[in-house]
Amino acid sequence: MSATLTLAGRRRKRPIGRYVRIAGGITACIMFLFPIFWMVLTSFKMPRDIFTTPPTFFFTPTIETYTSYLQHADIPNRMLNTVIVACGAGLISIAAGSMAGYALARIKVKGLATMGALILLSRGVPPIALAVPMFLVARNLGLTDKHITLILAYCTFLIPYVMWLMRGFFKALPEELEESAMLDGCSRFGAFFRIIVPISLPGLLSTLIFSVILAWEELLFALVLTNRYASTIPVAIAGIAGDSVNGANWGALTAVGTLTVLPVVVFALLVQKWLIKGLADGATKG
Amino acid sequence: MGAVDIRGVRKSYGDHKVMHGVSIAIPDGEFVALVGPSGCGKSTLLRMIAGLEEITEGDILIGDRVINDVAPKDRDIAMVFQNYALYPHMSVRKNMAFALKLRRLPPAEIEKRVRSVAEILSLEPLLDRKPRALSGGQRQRVAMGRAIVRDPQVFLFDEPLSNLDAKLRVQMRSELKELHQRLGTTTVYVTHDQIEAMTLANRVVVMNAGRVEQVGAPLELYDRPDNLFVAAFIGSPPMNFLQGAVTEDRSGLTLPDGLVLAVPGGVYASAGTPVTIGIRPEHFTIASAGWPVAVSVIEPTGSETQISTRLAGRTLRVLIRGRTAVEPGETIHITAEPDNIHVFDTQTGLRIDRR
Ligand SMILES: Nc1ncnc2c1ncn2[C@@H]1O[C@H](COP(=O)(O)OP(=O)(O)O)[C@@H](O)[C@H]1O
Ligand SMILES: [Mg+2]
Repeated sequence: MSATLTLAGRRRKRPIGRYVRIAGGITACIMFLFPIFWMVLTSFKMPRDIFTTPPTFFFTPTIETYTSYLQHADIPNRMLNTVIVACGAGLISIAAGSMAGYALARIKVKGLATMGALILLSRGVPPIALAVPMFLVARNLGLTDKHITLILAYCTFLIPYVMWLMRGFFKALPEELEESAMLDGCSRFGAFFRIIVPISLPGLLSTLIFSVILAWEELLFALVLTNRYASTIPVAIAGIAGDSVNGANWGALTAVGTLTVLPVVVFALLVQKWLIKGLADGATKG
Repeated sequence: MGAVDIRGVRKSYGDHKVMHGVSIAIPDGEFVALVGPSGCGKSTLLRMIAGLEEITEGDILIGDRVINDVAPKDRDIAMVFQNYALYPHMSVRKNMAFALKLRRLPPAEIEKRVRSVAEILSLEPLLDRKPRALSGGQRQRVAMGRAIVRDPQVFLFDEPLSNLDAKLRVQMRSELKELHQRLGTTTVYVTHDQIEAMTLANRVVVMNAGRVEQVGAPLELYDRPDNLFVAAFIGSPPMNFLQGAVTEDRSGLTLPDGLVLAVPGGVYASAGTPVTIGIRPEHFTIASAGWPVAVSVIEPTGSETQISTRLAGRTLRVLIRGRTAVEPGETIHITAEPDNIHVFDTQTGLRIDRR
């Protein structure tokens, strides 16, 4: 009965609603994708094509920027650093954050909810206010310019993020699942790892991906806490943009930018199908 | 071995007391039903037996071991939840094998046990399906299979049939009973449905607001309810009640509005005592003499007929076998056997026995 009503309603609305939605979708896509498109386009231009007025879409593409600039600015090394730091921070945060989120979702201890809220609230502090204290702590510990420093720094904002996302996810799972597992012979930990984690894999994976991306593009802490050895791609980009000696090398900037986005896009495309499938049958109730 | 002994168990959530000293002794192999209205503490008690809820005060023993502080996994108890709680990422076979695997049984033994239980419950064609691909009734069976395959000391059921449709519920009820007769495992079964409790259990525990009102065999509860609560709770349609004071000659009841009713067999309490008498609808008979009542509604079901009648502004329900020629608006006379008339003290709610 209700199905018929919905169908009828949809049919009536279609002419306007459908076009509005499509137009909305296209607008959003253009808004989000155009800057990236322009960046990629620019990275294949010769310097003289970059600042033409009006801007040109048609030019002789070249990979000259890529070949000439990249070795000299230590880009491969920085790319490797970025991978190490982003993956390390993502993995540690997903492990710690999901367990913390599980505790928040399930364990009934007075004050635990308040504690969770406080952890989240700590994210209200502007990162710049934390950067200097963090630098001092790292220096006192002899940890400046190391991968682990950045990884730990990123964990300070990724763990609360993962914790709150996963808390919502776990809360939606019926508690009887773990109780059943505990009666079947699991400890609380066993129930979490054997039952809850496998069921939550789509959620865990998408959270992990977002965490990695957040760490991947982080600039401020990387700028403050690293120097040469552990510095990451965003720092390199900032360096190019803010080069006061030679002026900003826009070609190099867009080329490095493109290279930064590329792995993320490839990764997202690889897991996208799996993610959507996971989210679609995320209705895990028995 | 699988006897469960509940001794003076209390439960509070912070300052909120939900169980006020419950004691029940369940001998090995018995099927006990905990029944009572929603919120009376049935699930809480069951979960305390399972170890999923802490015991605030008192002891619970399985066999002769106090299990208050034993982890759920070490209690050797299997529980079937209302929502079944099947592991969604595992096939039916893996769901059933899960506990056995954790106990490190040899794979051949696991497979043998899963097969034999699957056969008992007709689950064989479903063994490789995921719970998602099962109907409600099938999930219910898998949940039972998962419990049975473990061969535990005690089965706990928390309203396992309440998510099934009426017909399937009746069918599963008989199957459960048969299963218990076959396995003989101590079973504690929680339900709010008194018919389910009565038909399934060897013994029924009627609970109300965190207390046990009465423990007894199903027919004992029906024949001799200890108090007004049990009298009203057990039986469908429910018992009729009339409040009044015992007359001087103790032959009847003076109703609050002054009407005097003769009670067959008399009322065995001292004159003037406020009492409530209870008569089950099926214990009324239509007679040539008795209480004159006006027929208001007739509801035939074929095998029996329910007649709603009015007696001085009160509704009395009468249930007779077969059919009737009585018409709405008519006045009929109804009466009951003295043995089928229950008398309760109105103030305490307790049964007053014939001396
Ligand atoms: N976690 C809890 N915190 C506070 N009160 C609870 C909690 N769980 C149950 N209760 C209370 O305990 C009482 C008994 O609940 P329950 O055992 O679920 O009842 P039943 O299963 O008989 O319907 C109810 O009054 C309920 O509100
Ligand atoms: Mg309940």
